[in-house]
Amino acid sequence: MSAETEILENLKKAIFEGNAGDARSLTLKAMEKKIDPLTVADVLTEAIRKVGEGFGRGELFIIDLSMAAEAMKNAVPIIEEEIKKAGKKQKTQGTVVIGTVAGDIHDIGKTMVSTLITAAGFEVIDLGVDIPAEKFLEAVRKYNPDILAMSSLMTITTPEQGKVLEALRREGLRDKVKVMVGGGAVTQEFAEGIGADGYAPTAPGAAELAKKLAGIE
Amino acid sequence: MVLNGFPLNIKPLEILSDEQVEAIHRGTLDILQETGVRFEHDKALKLFADSGCHVDFQKRLVKIPDYLVEECLRKAPSSFAVKARDPKNTVRIGGTTVYMMSNCGMNTLDLDTLEPKTPTLQDQDDFVKVLDALEHVHILGYGPHHNFQGVHPLMTLPMGCASRIRNSTKAMDAGGIKKCQVWNIKMAKATGQQLLGIVTVSPPLTYYSDAVEAAFDYVEVGFPVELWSGAVYGGSGPVTLAGATVMTNAELLAALVLAQLIRPGIGVIPYDFTFPIDMQRGHPFFGAVEICLHSMAFNQIWRHYRIPCGNAFFWSGKAVDYQCGYERAVSTFLAALSGANVICALGGGSMELTAHPVIAVLDDDVMGMVKRVLEGMDVSEETLAVNLIEEVGPIPGHYLNREHTRRWWKKELFIPKVADRTSYPEWVQGGKKTALENAKTRVKEILSTHTPTPLPKDQDEEINRILREAEEWYKKQGWW
Ligand code: B12
Repeated sequence: MSAETEILENLKKAIFEGNAGDARSLTLKAMEKKIDPLTVADVLTEAIRKVGEGFGRGELFIIDLSMAAEAMKNAVPIIEEEIKKAGKKQKTQGTVVIGTVAGDIHDIGKTMVSTLITAAGFEVIDLGVDIPAEKFLEAVRKYNPDILAMSSLMTITTPEQGKVLEALRREGLRDKVKVMVGGGAVTQEFAEGIGADGYAPTAPGAAELAKKLAGIE
Repeated sequence: MVLNGFPLNIKPLEILSDEQVEAIHRGTLDILQETGVRFEHDKALKLFADSGCHVDFQKRLVKIPDYLVEECLRKAPSSFAVKARDPKNTVRIGGTTVYMMSNCGMNTLDLDTLEPKTPTLQDQDDFVKVLDALEHVHILGYGPHHNFQGVHPLMTLPMGCASRIRNSTKAMDAGGIKKCQVWNIKMAKATGQQLLGIVTVSPPLTYYSDAVEAAFDYVEVGFPVELWSGAVYGGSGPVTLAGATVMTNAELLAALVLAQLIRPGIGVIPYDFTFPIDMQRGHPFFGAVEICLHSMAFNQIWRHYRIPCGNAFFWSGKAVDYQCGYERAVSTFLAALSGANVICALGGGSMELTAHPVIAVLDDDVMGMVKRVLEGMDVSEETLAVNLIEEVGPIPGHYLNREHTRRWWKKELFIPKVADRTSYPEWVQGGKKTALENAKTRVKEILSTHTPTPLPKDQDEEINRILREAEEWYKKQGWW
């Protein structure tokens, strides 16, 4: 095995096993050895996709998924920096901004969705919980995402999702971003009623939906 | 006057050694003093700072010194009353009394198709009527639904509370989110009762502003508060039971300190509402037996603190079946035997997402069984029956012709109302009815025969006025 292949194989393993420290040091090593950052990016994407598939087959669990996503966070920014420096462009599936709406602090489902969308190859910007409409709008302006995803688990906070959509329309941003909604209190009917582009009842479903909305099959 | 709960006549089960309890307490104090708890609420931060806590206003982090925790534990009462609309339903929570409380579900359930359905306000009213009638429901938990056809989401919680007040005279709790407590408190005052206010931590170690607002609003008017934990082991809390216990304990003690700082001596009752994570789905694993183990430790620790405590249980099955039955029975028995003062478990179905009066009726039987066991064995000269045994002697002697039997059998035996106890031929003749079918029949019976004491007309109108005021207020806030 060449030194290069060995680094990439080990990096793949580090992501797959969710070893953040190794993921970071191996990525730095790859950069040192002047491996093409686009090649490294592909390796990372392949590894996290494998984790997502393992989860889908019931062989891996949420903890494996989150650890792998964490390892990705330690590697991706280094690579992105290099790609930018080289004046190249990375092909990702797209960017997703996600958050739980104002007044709602339920975190677990939203975080799962965010992890599975990451595993599907998207770049995810997770705003957190209790996010007011203005913050969602600010993020849409700042990151220009392909998809805006909102979670709401309580009946009392579901109108917030409608408000965000209204605000997007008002600000002339609605055509720039696809909107998907979910969380325990949301239904397909409700999603259609507020004019969202999609709804999914589960996190794996959310990842599939993201791909569909981004035009990837 | 107070409503009798179940008497815990037997020594509570303890699963921790004294040393283990101390180790958990020390861990808790460490977290409170060194790590701190986040409070997203300026007034609370200031109150903590003024009371000797180390407060980082930027990070909104409160570090509570040991002495203050111990002091507030002494200030919190070991028992307190919650005034009900009908004084004979007032409860006094604490000591060796176990009260049973109903729980909730966002939706109702179609018992034929097993599909969740958005309830109507009529479903809600009927559910509350059934709870009002059931013998083993002492306290009405919030809900039972919080999602109604044709009702604006913001009005669901005040409307739910109004329905409980109108259709039951029992003691009850009420939520605290989006300021719904303002209307809940007004409605309670208008009808001469108190509410147990709900204050919910957001694990790990965070109180968002809604929860803290609720704490201030309820405590300031002198209503006791329920402090609800909600960690998911491995998700929002440590995966180990001991670690989850330490974190939960720290969260609840922080809220207890806040309540005592707002109003020294106010009644507080922490609830264990924690669960392991389902590592395949991310959902709380509601039927896990580890929940019971955690609750048993929890009950032992709070008894050690001399503060009343509660446990809450749902189940993970979707149907109303064997699995639900064992999940319910195992959890409520272990909670009661380990000394929980309030057990919130009646009526709630799958994963806290559905609830149904038929489930409440089935649960009422389970709670009756719990009651019977807690009462323990009556041992007296008369119950020992030594003379009688001597008198009857060996076969052909028997006991079916004795006054002693007639006097005692009903006291000694709990008779469930809907469990199937028939002989096989009888069962066939009766159309092979299961407990579930019997429960459906009982719900219908209750609804056709039970009329809860209605509110006086002026109070009923006042409730309508408060609800209108709430609606206008929400619209003015721009939240509508
Ligand atoms: C754990 C929990 C809590 C914890 C949250 C801890 C945390 N840090 O997240 C605590 C204890 C803090 C809590 C507090 C409260 N809670 Co709560 N909580 C729950 C509980 C039990 C589980 C939620 C959960 O984590 N589910 C697991 C995840 C994996 O599921 P999920 O979030 O639905 O997500 C899945 C899908 O919906 C989907 N999904 C999620 N987001 C998105 C987004 C998109 C775009 C898509 C496509 C898909 C998608 O993918 C996920 C994975 O498959 C639910 C009941 C339940 N069974 O859901 C109640 C529940 C959500 N809570 C409820 C309530 C009312 C409250 C409180 C108001 C209680 C109170 N009285 O104070 C407070 C509110 C605080 C606030 N301001 O938000 C109600 C809501 C009822 C309603 N319809 O209005 C529920 C349904 C329980 C009930 N019946 O009372 N809660």
